[in-house]
Amino acid sequence: MYMMETCNLTKTYEGFTAVSNVSLHIPQGAVYGFLGPNGAGKSTTMKMFLGLTRPTSGSFTIDGRQYPRDRMEILRKVGSFIEAPAFYGNLSGEENLDVIRQILGLPKSAVTEVLELVGLTPFRKRLARKYSLGMKQRLGLAGALIGHPPVLILDEPTNGLDPVGIHEIRNLIRSLPQRYDCTVLVSSHLLSEVELMADNIGILNHGHLLFEGTLEDLKSSAASQGYPTDNLEDTFLAMVDADNRQRGVTR
Amino acid sequence: MRGIVLEWKKEKRTGILPAFLGGGILAGAVPLANMAFRSEMYLKQYTPWMQVSRTPFAILLDANWQMMAMLNMLLVVTGACLLYHTEYADNGLQKMRTLPLWEGTCFLGKTVLLFFLSLLLLAIEAGAIAFCAGHWFEGAMEGISAWLELGLYFGYAFLRMVPCILLSLLVAEACRNMWISLGIGVLCLFTATLLPAQVMSSGKIQFLAFFPFAMPFRMTTDMEGILENVAGGMWDLYAAAIWAAVLVLAGWLYRKGRRAWA
Repeated sequence: MYMMETCNLTKTYEGFTAVSNVSLHIPQGAVYGFLGPNGAGKSTTMKMFLGLTRPTSGSFTIDGRQYPRDRMEILRKVGSFIEAPAFYGNLSGEENLDVIRQILGLPKSAVTEVLELVGLTPFRKRLARKYSLGMKQRLGLAGALIGHPPVLILDEPTNGLDPVGIHEIRNLIRSLPQRYDCTVLVSSHLLSEVELMADNIGILNHGHLLFEGTLEDLKSSAASQGYPTDNLEDTFLAMVDADNRQRGVTR
Repeated sequence: MRGIVLEWKKEKRTGILPAFLGGGILAGAVPLANMAFRSEMYLKQYTPWMQVSRTPFAILLDANWQMMAMLNMLLVVTGACLLYHTEYADNGLQKMRTLPLWEGTCFLGKTVLLFFLSLLLLAIEAGAIAFCAGHWFEGAMEGISAWLELGLYFGYAFLRMVPCILLSLLVAEACRNMWISLGIGVLCLFTATLLPAQVMSSGKIQFLAFFPFAMPFRMTTDMEGILENVAGGMWDLYAAAIWAAVLVLAGWLYRKGRRAWA
C-alpha cells in the first residue's frame, strides 16, 4: 500500500518545466530518499504536496486523500520542513513550537517532547533569531515532528548541521518509522547521506524521474545500463550525466 | 478567538503595544499642548449662553483632529507593516501555510488585533480631549450626555478608520518587503493630506473624500451633522461599510489568486 502516490505530476512556470510527469510511489512506513542535483525539482514537488505550489497537471494522493479536494485533511496528516527553517524570530524556540501546537490542538507536553527529541531543550528559551543555523534546522525539524504526524516531508533537513548533528538527525529520521509508525519523504542532493537512511529512493533530474526503487534495484538497473556500481555516488553521477547529455544540457 | 490569541502571541517582543501606547500619548498631547499655550483662541468660540454654540468637543477636535488623525494613520500603517513583517522576516507565514489553518485566519486575527490597538489609541485620545474639555471649558463634562457625545465622536472616528486599517493590512499582506508596504502606506497618507478639504466637500472631486486614507481626517463637521440628524453626515459611514466589504472581498480574491498562481 502506498502512503503517497503521484500520477504524472507536472509543474510548469512560464516556459520552464520544473517537474515533468513525475509518478512517485512511496510505501507506508518507509523512508523515501528523494535525490537530485540542485534545481532538479525536488523542492517544487514537495511544495506541491503541501499546497504551496499548485500542480499544472497530474494528481497526487496522501494516505488516500486527494489534492486539492482534501487539502486540509492532507495538511493535518503531514509534518513538513521545506527549504529553509520557517519560524518567528521574535519568539523563543519553545514559543514557536507552542504556536504550532495550538494550531494542531495538541497537549502542552508535545512541545517538551519534541524539543527533547531534536536536542533543543537547553536552548528552548532562547530567541529563534539568535539560534545558530544548526539550531534553526533543528527547530524546523521539531516543527515538522510535533504531534507525530503519519507523514513527514523533509527538504534537505541536514543542511547547515555539523557532522555530529548530521549523524544525530540521520539516526533520528531512520528511527522515525519504527518509533512513530510514520512515512518519511526526505530530499537531498547527497547520495551518501540518503544511502544511510532510505529504504527506497527516487532520482530526479531536470524535473524527470530517472529512477524509483530500492538501492538494490538501483545497483542492478545501473549495472544493466553500463553505469559504475562500485560506489552509489558514482552511479548517481553517471545517471545524471547521461540524462544531461541526452537532453543536451551542460552543467 | 483562538486566532486572535495566536496573533497576539506572535507579536511578542515586536514592540507593537508600546508603539500604540506611545503614539496614543503623543496624539493625546496635541490638544493638551494646544490648550496649554493658546486656550484663549478656542475658549472664545465657546458661547453656551447663545442659542447657536459649538460644543467643546467640536471646538477641540476641529482644532486638533488633523494632527491626531495623521498620527493615528501613521500608527495604523506602521502597525500593519509590523504585523506582517513578523510573518515574512523569518518565513513564519510559510510554516503557517503548511498547517491545517484556513488562510484568512491570519488576516482576520491581525485585523481584529489592529482594531483593538486602534481603539486603545482612540481611548487615550478621548481621555485627553475629555481632560481638556473638563479643565478649560467650564461645565463641559457635566452629565452623562457629555460622555455619550465624546463616545459618539470617537466611535465615529473608529468607524472611519476601518477601511484604512483593512487597506493597510491588505497591502502589508501582499508585499513581502516591509519597506514597500510602508512606502505605499505613507504615500497614501500624504496624498490624503494633500487633498484640499474644501474641494473634496463641494467640488467635482468630491468622491476623493471617500478615499480610505482621507476619510479619517474629516471628523467634526460631519459629526455635528450627525448630531443634528442630518442624513448627509451618514454618507461617510455608508462609504466605510462599502469599503470594508470591498476590501474583505479583495483580500479573499487575492488569497485565492495567490494559491491558484503559486
